[in-house]
Amino acid sequence: MAERNPKVVGFCCEEHGIECANLAVRSGKQYDVSVRLVRVPCTGRVDGIHILKALEDGADAVFVLGCLEKNCYYDTGSIEGRKRVDYVKSMLSQVGIEPERVEMFNASSSMAWKFSEIVSKMTDVAKRLGPIEPRGDGQ
Amino acid sequence: MIVAERKPLGEIAEMVAPYQKVTVIGCRSCVAICLAGGEKEVKMLVSAMKLKNRREGRKQDFDGFVLERQCEKEWVKEVEDKILSSDVVLSMSCSLGAQTIADMYPEKIVVPGLNTAMFGVPEEQGVWSEKCLGCGDCIIHTTGGICPIARCAKSMLNGPCGGSSNGHCEVNLDIECAWYAIHERLKLQGRLDLIEMVRPPKEWTTSHSGGRRVIVREDAKLTPHQKRDKEAVI
Amino acid sequence: MKRSIQVVICRICSGAANVLDTDKLLRVASEAPYVGSAIAVDYACNTKTIAQIVEEAKDKEIDRLLVVPCSKNEVSPALFQSYKRKAKINEFLMEAVDLVSEVVLPHRDEPSKAQAKAEAKLLAAIARMAMLEPLQKGSEEMRTKNVVIIGAGVAGVEAAKRAAEAGLHTILIEKSDKEVKAPGVVMPRSRLISAKGHAGNYELTIEAGEKMEALECGAVIVASGGDWSEAKGPLVRACPEAKPLYKLAQELSSGNIPKGGVVIVDTPDPKADTTPAQDFAWEEALQCAIEIKKRESGTDVCLMFQEMRALGLAELSYKEAAELGVRFVRYDKKRPPKIDSKDKNRIVVIDSAQEQAIAIAFECLYYASIAPNPDNMAIAEALRIPMNDSGGVRRGSMQKGPIATPRPGIFVCGSAQFPRSEEMSRLEGRAAGALAAQFVSTGTVEFGGSVAEVTPEKCSACLTCVRTCPYEAPFIGVAGKAEIRLQLCQGCGMCVGICPSKAIELHNYTDDQLSAEVASYIGGDF
Repeated sequence: MAERNPKVVGFCCEEHGIECANLAVRSGKQYDVSVRLVRVPCTGRVDGIHILKALEDGADAVFVLGCLEKNCYYDTGSIEGRKRVDYVKSMLSQVGIEPERVEMFNASSSMAWKFSEIVSKMTDVAKRLGPIEPRGDGQ
Repeated sequence: MIVAERKPLGEIAEMVAPYQKVTVIGCRSCVAICLAGGEKEVKMLVSAMKLKNRREGRKQDFDGFVLERQCEKEWVKEVEDKILSSDVVLSMSCSLGAQTIADMYPEKIVVPGLNTAMFGVPEEQGVWSEKCLGCGDCIIHTTGGICPIARCAKSMLNGPCGGSSNGHCEVNLDIECAWYAIHERLKLQGRLDLIEMVRPPKEWTTSHSGGRRVIVREDAKLTPHQKRDKEAVI
Repeated sequence: MKRSIQVVICRICSGAANVLDTDKLLRVASEAPYVGSAIAVDYACNTKTIAQIVEEAKDKEIDRLLVVPCSKNEVSPALFQSYKRKAKINEFLMEAVDLVSEVVLPHRDEPSKAQAKAEAKLLAAIARMAMLEPLQKGSEEMRTKNVVIIGAGVAGVEAAKRAAEAGLHTILIEKSDKEVKAPGVVMPRSRLISAKGHAGNYELTIEAGEKMEALECGAVIVASGGDWSEAKGPLVRACPEAKPLYKLAQELSSGNIPKGGVVIVDTPDPKADTTPAQDFAWEEALQCAIEIKKRESGTDVCLMFQEMRALGLAELSYKEAAELGVRFVRYDKKRPPKIDSKDKNRIVVIDSAQEQAIAIAFECLYYASIAPNPDNMAIAEALRIPMNDSGGVRRGSMQKGPIATPRPGIFVCGSAQFPRSEEMSRLEGRAAGALAAQFVSTGTVEFGGSVAEVTPEKCSACLTCVRTCPYEAPFIGVAGKAEIRLQLCQGCGMCVGICPSKAIELHNYTDDQLSAEVASYIGGDF
């Protein structure tokens, strides 16, 4: 198995998602360089296709970070985001790929601690599961 | 409309496993509307298959796209090159589309990515329920607009069976007893006399029991002269 | 005009120098495709610097700009404005790349990995920028400078005053015929029936008495409020002398201070879902408790509640009350207080703090809940805005729009959102009036730009977008295909993410643009 750094991609909404991340770093939090963030106006914009393609492009784990469901700037955006993530998880299960590689999270822009939790959790997943490649254990 | 559901991905993977070049063809009509085989589902399927292959250490070539209506020969003909150069066609249309391609190109292997389920209506976004079985001899004018063939588990024609309980079907408590519903509807309309109407055994030859059906409109058919090849649709 | 990006890296303030090798960043940027100019400057907010880089942009025929500033929220407006006016760069082709938040700050301890990430991020931003399209916003004149306020209570009247101060014409819709002192027009015995249109140009139908009136306005403020709950619950049925708190406030102001024990419960119906405990009029209850204790220190006062919510400076009242000897008893909804069956002047409850049942004797029992206005639902439906769980109108977002609703041009204040004290309602009313004034004063409403667009040939008319959009922007047009009403589209992209036929795209967040960015960003080694 190739030794390479874990790769985690996070789709964060421009409203609460990215600001939660910003608040975390401005409070001095460091996080693993394994995590790279991509901005979307709203997590409702995230299509299952983007998540799957991110995995195809080499991500070991993908998360989607949106507003709290009752506090979404666009009313129902993060509810939609969650549905897309859930659907992708079910597809991954059906093709024998660990569904925990993909997760949905909700936070508000004031929940700096939550961002640390998220990157910690997803980096762990990426390290534990490694890249999507032949396992060598025969399936 | 026709409502279909994507087969489990494991089953699909098994069907296309023996082939190298897989052409995935979806449809923009019914199966897009019921979220099973539109462009989005096609793209997601291709992506998932590629990930599966990466995990298993194999490589297949996938090409995915949609047709306006896969059951129309003209639209299928548009992509003839892609069909002919494929090792297998994975149809993400209802079986009508899959069979159209299979009939047009009998040497090609065509596999169904969807299970075509029923004629259904969207009760709400994401929920489709069966309302018609295509019996070919519609009687809903006598049942207040509710079809007992489709909505009664036993397709009863003259009132509920003994298993009807509190308005629910004994087969499945989630299903409303169709005849209860019919009764309530006719009551609302002040036409309960129709409940007492006796319907003789149905003419089932108009349904599938009489064999595969063909419907012809003589006034619409083209003469041999008219049938000459026209330019492509697009 | 060919696609040509200018990359401007602001060296000093981005703090980059301490962690990143900005010269290398510059080199990497200048070698990327579509980059016509790459410059590092010391202060990109300095007017002289701006003038220089704009000149460079014009010389090199640049048509799009990427800035690495100190932080995204601090990009100097002067910078973007200068590019827009002098170099004629489309506002949608100017973006900032926040290396500070995403690389410099969080990866201070790993400079070489931070460098790799910064380069990747810059290249991804360049890949994205190369694919963007110039976009134009449209605008529409507001036909009126009216602000319609629903509800002439504390919040509504304050909102009207504030909006009128800004020179706007206010129309207060009030369902009762109470006397209202407010600027503008007051319509008594009136209610909102329906609303059409969009922010800046709303068309309302009002039932005024027996007639239907049409009203045009630029903004709407929902101030329908709540009121003291007179609901009867099991507690009140067991103790018929129990009264709503405002009666205690009335007694106190006419000088009748109770001498026997006083218990104030948060709701007459502690177990029910209809009167959520959050409706407790905390500030009023604390004020009454403090008043009693100050005037009759011997009187026992006890406050019984599920949740303590003394907001803001009301915390001080809580402290004062506690110091004066007011007793606070917290209970769990599953184990609510009950009137003692043997002595109807005792209330028995399990105190959550002590996990013990206690009995408190009282002479007077008050309940202090404010119920949401039952009309809120009809108002919310008419305005097509969502409700929250407490029977009030939902606000846009706690942090970003506490007085807004998810629909632009419609604001909410006071107890219409969630039961409030009088002071809070007044403040919120003032805020709503100010926001509405700010919005309507411009006289025009802008729309478009980064919004959704349907490709009709791909649309299956499945109605999914129509059903999903919270702003009701998509509709099925005369061609039988979905279309987007630009005045309503907020650019969130929900419809884009869900369309089963991929017929809708969000300008400047298309699938291809997002894919290019992601593929570039996660392509190499991390």
